[in-house]
Amino acid sequence: MMILKMKKEDLPAFLDSVKEWGELWGPVKKGEKVTYAKVDALSQMDLKATRTIIPPKKFLYPQRFTMFDFDQDGYVERKGDVPKRILFGIHPCDIHGILIMDKLFLENYKDPYYAERREKTLILGHSCIPDDKCMCIATNTDFIAEGFDLFFTDLKMFYLVWVGSTKGHDLVRMRPDLFSRDLDKNDILNYTEYRKWKTAQFKSNVDFTGMPDVFELGYNSPVWDQLGDKCLSCGQCTMVCPTCNCYNQVDEVELGSLEGTRDRFWDSCMFREYSLVAGGHNFRDKRADRLRLWYTHKLQAYIGEFGKPACVGCGRCVATCPVDINVVTVSTALKEQEVGK
Amino acid sequence: MTKQSPKIGVYGFTGCAGDQLMILNCEDQLVDIFGATEVRSFVMAKSDNHEGELDVAFVEGSISTDEQLRRVKEIRERSKVLIAIGTCACHGGPQAMKLGEGKFDEMYKKVYGNAKITLAKAFEAQPVDAFVKVDMYIPGCPIDKTEFLTAVAKLVAGRHPYLYKFPVCTECKWRENECILYNGKFCAGPLTKAGCGAICPSHNIPCVGCWGPTDDLNVSAEYDLLKEKGYKPEEIIQKIKKFGGAKVAQIVGELEKKKKEAKA
Amino acid sequence: MKKMCVVLDDREVQDNPFQPDMWRIVRKYPLTGDVNFFQARPVDVDEALKFNFVPGQFIMMSVMGEGEAPFCVSSSPSRPGLLEFCIRKMGTMTESLFALKENQTLGIRGPYGNGFPIEKMEGKDIMIVGGGMGVAPLRSLLLYILDNRDKFGNVTYLHGARTPGDMLFREEFLQLKERDDLRCLLTVDKDDTGMWKDKIGVVTTLFKDLGPIDAKNTVAAVCGPPIMYKFVMDYVVKLGIPKHQILMTLERRMKCGVGKCGHCAIEYLYTCIDGPVFSWWDVIHMKELIGRGANDKTIA
Repeated sequence: MMILKMKKEDLPAFLDSVKEWGELWGPVKKGEKVTYAKVDALSQMDLKATRTIIPPKKFLYPQRFTMFDFDQDGYVERKGDVPKRILFGIHPCDIHGILIMDKLFLENYKDPYYAERREKTLILGHSCIPDDKCMCIATNTDFIAEGFDLFFTDLKMFYLVWVGSTKGHDLVRMRPDLFSRDLDKNDILNYTEYRKWKTAQFKSNVDFTGMPDVFELGYNSPVWDQLGDKCLSCGQCTMVCPTCNCYNQVDEVELGSLEGTRDRFWDSCMFREYSLVAGGHNFRDKRADRLRLWYTHKLQAYIGEFGKPACVGCGRCVATCPVDINVVTVSTALKEQEVGK
Repeated sequence: MTKQSPKIGVYGFTGCAGDQLMILNCEDQLVDIFGATEVRSFVMAKSDNHEGELDVAFVEGSISTDEQLRRVKEIRERSKVLIAIGTCACHGGPQAMKLGEGKFDEMYKKVYGNAKITLAKAFEAQPVDAFVKVDMYIPGCPIDKTEFLTAVAKLVAGRHPYLYKFPVCTECKWRENECILYNGKFCAGPLTKAGCGAICPSHNIPCVGCWGPTDDLNVSAEYDLLKEKGYKPEEIIQKIKKFGGAKVAQIVGELEKKKKEAKA
Repeated sequence: MKKMCVVLDDREVQDNPFQPDMWRIVRKYPLTGDVNFFQARPVDVDEALKFNFVPGQFIMMSVMGEGEAPFCVSSSPSRPGLLEFCIRKMGTMTESLFALKENQTLGIRGPYGNGFPIEKMEGKDIMIVGGGMGVAPLRSLLLYILDNRDKFGNVTYLHGARTPGDMLFREEFLQLKERDDLRCLLTVDKDDTGMWKDKIGVVTTLFKDLGPIDAKNTVAAVCGPPIMYKFVMDYVVKLGIPKHQILMTLERRMKCGVGKCGHCAIEYLYTCIDGPVFSWWDVIHMKELIGRGANDKTIA
């Protein structure tokens, strides 16, 4: 993969130039937290921020959108109202999250809605400094080698820029004057130093090794019921999780006609309605059953299927759940057979 | 497609009439509503009202007098579908917040003193489904225009309206708000049905629960959490009962009973 | 860093897997009190013979303005051009579906799911055990086998219903009893008509009449209400049929049918793409498959 070097002070000019390709989006302060918002310039972004409230999945797979317009003659795919966007400042964990979404939506019955947005969205990654909730080191998602168009690693004076796609390369070609291929000994030393330094920053010592077996053993553990008693079923964990893809769909009609739209919106396996079938039977009526499904999916089933967890260690569930049910507390509770306070 | 416009009626009982007002406030679509349906009775909107058989009756407000009870029963009898609109009709509304506490006579006396009320005999306000079968609920205080209009459109088309069943937290997250509850402030979001678009939390105002309870609420977890955050038990109960109506009153009653049993 | 650009630049133009095609209801009539038979064909008649499927697969059906839900196909691919469904009125979707009349249209996309492994079943003896609505997918399999009779060994069909009036496709199955190339054993839990000439008793009573079977060479397909599995599986396993040769089809809530919406997930499986046909062996070690928890009540 091509790795280039860019002076740090050249980044604003570069981002200014790439706006020609599409809208520029980046992390922007919202209260105490951060969200991805449309910006004009780098100066509006908060690059020190760790995690946004919801992950960049919202760009590839919006909270609610129209799939089809229908009338008496049938269903017509709704396409084309997707803007071209450049997302700057996406962290390795979130790019890993996107890769998991890619696998789901782009392989085996490719989802055209996701594909269109993925194609029109450029991912410009940025290195990050872990906080006390970051645990990507435990999920092996603290660095990233694919899934982005460009990736910027901050080495104080310089950026090392990984060029991950032809589109990323096109952006570089818009301002070739700002990049160089002159990488010397110091760059390599700086980079190794940076990796060591980043690894040393992690404060969370969560350990997911052996989780599939712990889940299998703990299937009937009373821990699930205790967690179920605590769970508010608010669904926030699933909304903020970069690898949660579940959705529901509904047909809406225009008043006075049978013409309308088929819409898709984010759903959550934490909701009672999620596994309810016609006739009233619910496969997961209990909160405990629903929690178990979610955590089993993330930390057992996905590992069994793909050799890695469907958790990218972003810490959003830790930073969101009001009653402290998250990958850390659940895995610990299962291992220690006790729900922490 | 040959079809007859469904005959509808809009009725108000104990409440602020805000839901009927919201229907009238659908200015851009009002003509369409009156075009797609045959509005037989809507006292707030028009004067020539005919009380007869209806395809759909929209009922606002809770039921709090014997006269209202007689009328709602009568409306039910002549309506194929009865839809409760607004949180008062769906759950009881704030006037039902003391349900289950057995304090109605005391409250009545405090408000009316010894004055003789002959118009109607009052009782503690309760949701419409405490007395007659309700086919569908469109909660809200007041109802949301879009939610109401999409439901009406589906009904007119002979389809089943779909309303979100999950808590407002989901919509709140869709709008990418910080969790107020996580930050330690009182927020009734997890107990409250979605549909409003999380307007209040989007303006950093905690949810007071005006959409009424969700189908699957965990009152005891919310209670424990708020207590842990430093709220007093009486305050928590009072706040979650404000719009919780009959459903929350019942759950709170059961919880308190359990607590007493645990103590004894 | 094995790949330079993964999925990013790998996007050929393709069909929208969520796109329903319009089909017309050709026939619709009640089979029992709350179960209707539907026969449909594509509005675009040229498409009719292009729709290929395997018994046990399902389709996603759309009723315009109401929504979409999965339904298994009750007809056999050996009789192409039309699809048949056997549907019970259960909720909002089926209510709107039942309101449609012959000649009106609905949306269909699919087929989805694995279906019965019919090629692997060739040369084997086949035992089909159905109860209640479980007959809907099993009829597809049975008709397919009868239309390709020489490819299969002995065929036994066991069917239980609550009453003669509840027996789906009753006349069709009674006629099958006349054939000498399969054994068709029918029973009802109770006869409220006084006209029932066949067996009375739950479906497991039919096992007494089975006689010797070549268990190792038999594939069983079982579908019915959960209470039936509880008893029937015991009998089938005792016959000595290997557990991975005992097949069943499951029902789950589904919104996409193609492994995207998540609703039908069970541990690492999606009912829609990994199922809906599973073996009894799968069921035994996948805890949630037919839910051995106290909550699970219906599978059909």
